[in-house]
Amino acid sequence: MDIKTLNLLFVSFLFLLMIACDSKQSTRDNRIVIAIPADVQTFNSLFAFSYEESAIAEILYPGLLDFRWNEERGELDPYPMIAKGWQWAEDSSSIKFYLRDDVYWSDGVKLTSEDVLFSYDVFSDPDVQSRLYGMFNYLFTDAEGHIDIEQSFKIISPFEFEMYFTQHSVPDLVRIVIPIIPEHVLSNVSRDRLSNHESGFNPVSCGSFKLKKWDRNQSIILDADSSSFLFTSGQAAEIVFKIVPDYTSRILQLKKGDIDLVELIKVEDMVELNTYGNLILLNNSGREYDYIGWNNIDPEAFASGKVIPNKFFGSSDVRKALTMAVKREEILKEYLLNQGKLAISPVSPIFKSAFNNYVKPYQYNPAEAKKLLVDAGWKDADRNGILEKNNLEFRIKMYYPVGNPLREYSAVIIKNNLKSIGIELTTEKMELGAFIDNLYERKFDSWMAGWGVPIPLELKPYWYSDPNIGMLNFACYANSDADKILDLLDTKVSNERKNELFKKFQEIIHQDEPVTFLYWTPNIIAYNKRIKNLNITPYGVIVHCWEWRIDD
Amino acid sequence: MIKVFKSQMTRTLVIRFFSSLLTLFFLVSFLFFLIRLSPGDPTDKYISAKLGSELSEKIAEKFSLNQPVSNQYFSFVANVLRGDLGVSYSYRLPVIEVIREYITFTFLFSLISFILQISLSIWLALWVIKKRNKWLDNFVTNSSLFVYSIPAFVLGVVLIYVFSVKLNLFPISGLKSLDYDYLPFLAQILDRIHHLVLPLITLTAAGVAMFYKYIKESMDDVLQQAFIVNLRATGVSEKTILKGHVIPNAIRPLISVAGVELGILLGGTLITEVIFGLPGMGRLTVDSILSRDYPLVLGCVFAAGAVMIAANFLADIIKLKLDKRLVKGILN
Repeated sequence: MDIKTLNLLFVSFLFLLMIACDSKQSTRDNRIVIAIPADVQTFNSLFAFSYEESAIAEILYPGLLDFRWNEERGELDPYPMIAKGWQWAEDSSSIKFYLRDDVYWSDGVKLTSEDVLFSYDVFSDPDVQSRLYGMFNYLFTDAEGHIDIEQSFKIISPFEFEMYFTQHSVPDLVRIVIPIIPEHVLSNVSRDRLSNHESGFNPVSCGSFKLKKWDRNQSIILDADSSSFLFTSGQAAEIVFKIVPDYTSRILQLKKGDIDLVELIKVEDMVELNTYGNLILLNNSGREYDYIGWNNIDPEAFASGKVIPNKFFGSSDVRKALTMAVKREEILKEYLLNQGKLAISPVSPIFKSAFNNYVKPYQYNPAEAKKLLVDAGWKDADRNGILEKNNLEFRIKMYYPVGNPLREYSAVIIKNNLKSIGIELTTEKMELGAFIDNLYERKFDSWMAGWGVPIPLELKPYWYSDPNIGMLNFACYANSDADKILDLLDTKVSNERKNELFKKFQEIIHQDEPVTFLYWTPNIIAYNKRIKNLNITPYGVIVHCWEWRIDD
Repeated sequence: MIKVFKSQMTRTLVIRFFSSLLTLFFLVSFLFFLIRLSPGDPTDKYISAKLGSELSEKIAEKFSLNQPVSNQYFSFVANVLRGDLGVSYSYRLPVIEVIREYITFTFLFSLISFILQISLSIWLALWVIKKRNKWLDNFVTNSSLFVYSIPAFVLGVVLIYVFSVKLNLFPISGLKSLDYDYLPFLAQILDRIHHLVLPLITLTAAGVAMFYKYIKESMDDVLQQAFIVNLRATGVSEKTILKGHVIPNAIRPLISVAGVELGILLGGTLITEVIFGLPGMGRLTVDSILSRDYPLVLGCVFAAGAVMIAANFLADIIKLKLDKRLVKGILN
C-alpha cells in the first residue's frame, strides 16, 4: 500500500470519527453523573464494605426508616421509609413496626415482614460474614452473635411485626435499622455462597433506582424505578456512577461538564473551580480529623507484656506541651486555606447538642510549652538544643502513611515547631497496610493519622482503656473517669443526660490530651448547578437521590 | 540432516518451555511467602469502631489465614496443580474469573499497541532512510529520544489537556461513552476507537521511539553490508532491496526486545490505565497488593509471568526459525 492510499485512509478515518462524535444522541438531560475513584465489587448489601458500595446499596436497599440530619441539634431524625410508622413499648423493651403495603421488589414481588426478619437473620449469620456481623447484641443472639429470630421477633401480620430487645441493651433507631434484602430471592441460597450469588451483580432491589447496567471499572448505571414507592415525578431518569481513578481526570471532567458531582476536592483547586459559573462548591467538614498520636505507654515494655508509662509521653503535661508547641493554625491557614477547623477533642462541632463549647483549644504557646516540659523534668543541661531527662534525649520518630499531601506538609511544620522547643523529631512515611499493622500492635511511640467519626457518635472503641473493648485506642489512653462515662453512655439514659456525659468526657480528655488533636479536615464537594434539591449534610452526600431534580 | 535439525530444535524448545514453567513456579512460590512476610493484614479492613474484631476473625478463618504459612502453601500448590488459583478476598470470586474480566482488555489493548509500535517504527525508519536527509534523520532521532524520555503520566495528562479539554476532540477517560447502548453498530465501533486514541498514543509513543532507534540502527548496519552494494550494482530496485533484504535482516535483533516489550505490555500498564480509567491488569494487580488480597496478587503475578514467558518463548521460536546460523550452531 503506498503513502497516498495510507493518507487517504487516515483522513477517512478521522472523518468517520468526527461523524461518530456528532451522531451520539445525548440523553444527558435526564442523567446525573457522579465520579467515584474505584469500582464496587458487589451490589449485595450484605458485603457492601467500601464507601461506594454502601452508598449504592443504600439507594438499592432502603431500610425500615430513613434519617435526615438535624442541623440545629447535630443529630439524626428518623422518618418513615419501608415502615410507615413505629411504636416503642413504654419501657423500650420492644418496638412495633408498621410496614407500607405498597413496597415492591423490582421483580414485582411485594415486600413483607418476612423479608425484614430474613434480613436480620442473614446479616447476623456467622456463615455469611456480612458487614454488620457482630452488631446485633441488642437483640437475642446465640454465642456466635446469630440472632434468635423467634425470641427477637414476632410477626403480627405481613405488614406488622414486633422486635424485642435484651434486658440491658440500649437500642436506638439508627442502630436498629438495616437494609432490607429479598427473602424470596436469597432464602434458597446456601449461606456460605451468598457472597458470590448472582444478586451481587444483578440485584433485585426496592429502592428509588434499580441497577440498569454495570460495566466493570467503567460505570454503574442506575435507572429510576417507576414502580418504587419512592419514585416521584420529575426525578432524574438515571444516576450514573462513573469510575475515574485519577483525581486530575475527575476535575477535568467536572469542569467540562461530563461529570456532575465530585467529592474530596483538594483545597488548592477550590479557587479555580469557584470561577466556573456552573459549579457549586460546599465544604462538608466535621466527619474526619487528623491527630498526632503519642503512645501513652512504653511500646517496648508492652511488647513484653508490661504496661508502663511512655518515657516521653507518659505525662499529660508533656502531651499538652507538645500540643501547645504545634502551630496548627499555620497548617489550617497556609495549607487548608481556612477550610478546616481546629480540633479540640474527638467530638466534632457538627454534634451541636453534644459539643462542649466551654472547652477551649490549647493555643500555640511555645514558651508555655517549654515551661511545662521543664516542670516535667526535661531540660537542656548540655545546651545542645535537645532536651534530656535522666540521660535520655528527647528524640522521637513520628510515622505516618504515604500518599497524603496534607500530612506531608504538616509533618514538616510539626518537626520545625518541636525543634524550636528542644525536641528532635524525625519523620518516616510508611505504606498504609504496614502502618495499620504497627498501630494495632502499639509499636509506635508517635504517629500521625486520622479518624472518621461515625454517626451516631461512638467513642468507646477509640478511648476505652480495656484493649478488648477499646480496640482502636492506639494511644493506650487510660482514665477511669472517662471509662465510667463511656460505660454510662452504653446504658439507658435520656438524650439530655447523654449530651451531658459527652460534654464531661470532652473536659476529661482535654485535660489529659492523650493525643494532639490537629484539625477537622475539609471534604469539599463540587457539583453542577443543574442538580437541584441536593441536600449535602454530614450524614452523607449521595442520599435521598429520589429528591434530586435536574434543571437545565 | 533436516530431521536431526528439527528434532534438536524441538528438544531445545521443549527444554526451554519446561524451564520457563519452573521459573514461573519459583516466582509464584517466592511471592507467596514474600507477601505473607510483609507487614499488613488482609483482614484489617474488617475492623472498625462498628465492626469489632469478630468479623475479621471469621474472615481469617474462612480464608485459612489463621493456618500456619506452610499449610497454606501446600494447599495453594495442590490447588494450582488442579488449575485453581483460589478465591479473591475482595471480590469473593474465583481468581481466574476476576482475572478473566481484566485480562481480555489488557490483551487486546496491548496487542494493538504492540502492533502499532512495530509498524510505526518500521515505517518511520523506512521514511527517514528513503529521504536520505541528515537534518531529518537528526530531527527524528532527537524527537524520538525526547518522546521516549517523557514519563507516561506526563504524556497522558498533556494529551488529555490539549485534545480533550482545550480542543474537545477526544474523551478524557473510559472505554466508551455513557450513551454507547443507544448508538448504531458502526458508531459503537467508532466510539470505542475514539476512546482508545489517546490511551494508545500514551502507551505506544515510547515504544515507537525505542523500536525506531533499534530498527534505524540495524537498518543502517545492513545498508552498509557488502551484499547490499552488490544488489545495487546488479540493478535491483531500491524498493526491492529495502523490502526484501534490509527489513528482514534489520528486524532480527529486534525480536528479543519485542518479546520483552510484549510481555511487559501484557502484564498490565498501570499508569495509562489509571489516567484513562481503563479496566486492565495493571490496576487490578496494584489494587490487589494494596488490599492484601493474597490469592489475587498471586494470580495476577502468575498471569503476568506466564504472558512474559510466552512472549519471550514466541520470540525465541521466531528467532530460531528466521536465523539459520543459530540453527547451524545447534546442529554443530
